Amino acid sequence: MAQSNPPFMSGVPELLLLRLLNDQEMYGYELVRAIKEVTNEAISLGEGVIYPVLHSLERNGSLKSSRKAVGGRTRVYYSLTRKGRERLDKLRDDWSRIQGGVATALGTAANA
Amino acid sequence: MHEPDFNTLATALLKKGVAPRHAHRAVNELRDHYDDLVDAAVDEGACSRIARRSAAKQLGSMDEFVQQMAACRELKTWSFRYPHLAVIVYPLACLAVLPAAPVLAGIAHREALMRWGTSLLAAGLVTAVMLLVMQLSIILG
Repeated sequence: MAQSNPPFMSGVPELLLLRLLNDQEMYGYELVRAIKEVTNEAISLGEGVIYPVLHSLERNGSLKSSRKAVGGRTRVYYSLTRKGRERLDKLRDDWSRIQGGVATALGTAANA
Repeated sequence: MHEPDFNTLATALLKKGVAPRHAHRAVNELRDHYDDLVDAAVDEGACSRIARRSAAKQLGSMDEFVQQMAACRELKTWSFRYPHLAVIVYPLACLAVLPAAPVLAGIAHREALMRWGTSLLAAGLVTAVMLLVMQLSIILG
């Protein structure tokens, strides 16, 4: 896949997907476009990266999928479950904590 | 970049132990994604050949996709997740199924068995009637 992000991006696709699906159900292509849009293209995921993540999240019960025929194609739409919302809350808390820690460390290092 | 070979992708995923339902669905999703990328490129004015090439590049390497899917343990079949258990369970399952095999075969071919049974019963009845007639002709004759 087109690798446009560094290794520390691990876990970020999951967080972004859950966040976007918290608002509305979407299919893969829509999700990739939405991620580019909401992050001002700062985060540009490899297009195929999201499918293993989506399938894993569905497997662990965070997402559910449904097929819909749209414009002559059968789309697989993903939506968040209650477990997915709980997972999103947890990941959001984790992210805030890490972000705060890194920001503090960078500030400290810059002032040293 | 060549056009993605979606036909061999599913086989590659299955060989890596990805469960069939995830493998087939992922391939279909990826194929639709590719079509969407091509359509978007064509809408932006690219010719069909360039649109396909651009879409394939954005989609990336199929080998890496297979590796990513295979790296997700929860997407694999249970025999790939627990290979040691599979070594024990599969032979035991085979042994358990062996006695049931004739019954299952009978259920599978029940219509043929019914015809065969009916024919046998009819033949038995005809033979019994003939023997009865012969017996009666001897007694009364």
